[in-house]
Amino acid sequence: MRGCVLKRLFLGLVFFLFTINNSPFTASYAAEPPKRIISLAPNITEILFALGLGDNIVGVTSFCDYPEEAKKKPKIGGMSNPSIEAVVSLKPDIVVMTTDGNPKEFEERLRSLKIRTYVFTARRLTELPQGVRDLGTALGVKKSADKFAEDYEKTLNRLKVHNSKSVAGKKKVLFIVWPEPLIVAGPGTVIDDALQSLGAENIASGTNTAYPKYSIEEIIRRSPDMIFIGKGKGMEKVSEGLFKRLRIVPAVRNHKFFYVSDDLYRLGPRTLKGIAEISGLMDK
Amino acid sequence: MKTKFFFIIIAFLLAFASSLFLGPTFINPLALDDTTREILVNIRAPRIIVAALMGMALGASGAVLQGILRNPLADPYILGISSGASLAAALGIIGGLSIFGTFTVPVLAFAGALITGGIVGTMGWKRGGLWPERLLLAGVGISFLFSALLMLIMSISRDEGMRRAMLWIFGDLSMSDWERVPYGLSLILCGIAMSSSRAKALNALILGDDFAHSLGFTPQKERALLFVSVGLMTGASVSLGGMIGFIGLLVPHIVRFFIGADSRSLIPASALGGGALLCIADLLGRSLLSPMELPSGIVTAIIGSPYFLYLLRRKNVLSV
Repeated sequence: MRGCVLKRLFLGLVFFLFTINNSPFTASYAAEPPKRIISLAPNITEILFALGLGDNIVGVTSFCDYPEEAKKKPKIGGMSNPSIEAVVSLKPDIVVMTTDGNPKEFEERLRSLKIRTYVFTARRLTELPQGVRDLGTALGVKKSADKFAEDYEKTLNRLKVHNSKSVAGKKKVLFIVWPEPLIVAGPGTVIDDALQSLGAENIASGTNTAYPKYSIEEIIRRSPDMIFIGKGKGMEKVSEGLFKRLRIVPAVRNHKFFYVSDDLYRLGPRTLKGIAEISGLMDK
Repeated sequence: MKTKFFFIIIAFLLAFASSLFLGPTFINPLALDDTTREILVNIRAPRIIVAALMGMALGASGAVLQGILRNPLADPYILGISSGASLAAALGIIGGLSIFGTFTVPVLAFAGALITGGIVGTMGWKRGGLWPERLLLAGVGISFLFSALLMLIMSISRDEGMRRAMLWIFGDLSMSDWERVPYGLSLILCGIAMSSSRAKALNALILGDDFAHSLGFTPQKERALLFVSVGLMTGASVSLGGMIGFIGLLVPHIVRFFIGADSRSLIPASALGGGALLCIADLLGRSLLSPMELPSGIVTAIIGSPYFLYLLRRKNVLSV
């Protein structure tokens, strides 16, 4: 009980310091960033943090787990089912949403409640820099957004050039998202874009779903040279059976299958790290 | 009668063979190279055997249950056994458990099925025996409870975990390998043998407990034995490849249209019919959108239901 009171006092104090610290000084800027931002997607949360807006975020989804500070932000529900009440009660100046996972109706609902929204539409690797520039302009952090976009484009180009030099011929690759049931990264995903930007051929590109349930037979027939598989709790064990079944495939025969981080699952600041990781493995 | 049964065996063998050699690409068994041999022997063969076993288990369970519950709408899933299995499996999938390696989900599902079967059996037990109405209502109640829990877990889980669980629940045969065959084979054949050996008693039970009693059967004992055989078959089937709808409910009816309601031939014929249907459904699921796969449970219902409705229009008998 006493701890609770102390905690409230402390929070109140922090809030008080926060408000007096912010209002008089930042008010002098012309395009002032909104003070209360809600992010409705994990990659948007990461981008907002990267643009230096972390302190202005007042609400995130339950999937927003990166960076560490994001976990401490108040949760407003999932991506596909955010709680309208939670959003409204946080009194946001703006709600940043994505076309990749948030329901369109939710945006309409927010607008009808006179809450400002911003819809982030970039979903592909090459769309990200412009997407961040536009977002930065709308949120009054144009400078850091431009820098982010520029760095991003530079690094991406460097990786592309590096790989076009080092990798002879097109490598056939496959990115496994989950082994049982077998789900792989198909066309239109950031992972597919990343693999192609490195000059590799994703053998699952030809399907018509982003994350298809894929045929094991077809993997054997298309015999990828390398297989990447998303790291996860106990993934080595869960994927044992699959790799046993794929033992005839060159990637498995030559031990060219790698457990990689989840950096590529989200289109954001970490995507490049994920591409660099794959690029490093392809050099091996 | 004999010729009709012979016809069903031929149909089963044809379905089995065609789903083995046809598929995303045709494999000629006389001209195999390393790749095609690997696909045929280690990928397709175990998968199709598992499909056939699951279909057989569901078909036979349906025939038995419609008999002991005296209800044409009974199927292996109405007793809640499958919802218990799915709940346990979904927990394993979403929680990313790997305690038994690649066997984790099947083991969890089978345990879930057995526990649920036990609960339903206990609920349906009164005055020294199982009562059809009690069993049915207990099953429906448990089924609703577990389905609700399943949906609860799925609605609070991460989106990707949910999709994996959904795919498994819809029926996923792609992970079948030789290791799973002996386990499925022993449990399911044991269940089919057990129920077939009680077929005469089942015939009597359908006509009423008094009648069965006068023919020298102990209704409660027979019903308990048959219930255990159904639990074994359904549990094994769900744990091998998830929930495949339709077969348990409608295959026994389709088979009845052809060979009549005598359990002695109905149980094995429903098993064969169920096996054949699932082989064909899996063949289509693998091939139609190749290299993508469709869950077999969906294909089964899509091809099976129109055929059932067609038969229902043509023949106007529908008896348990």
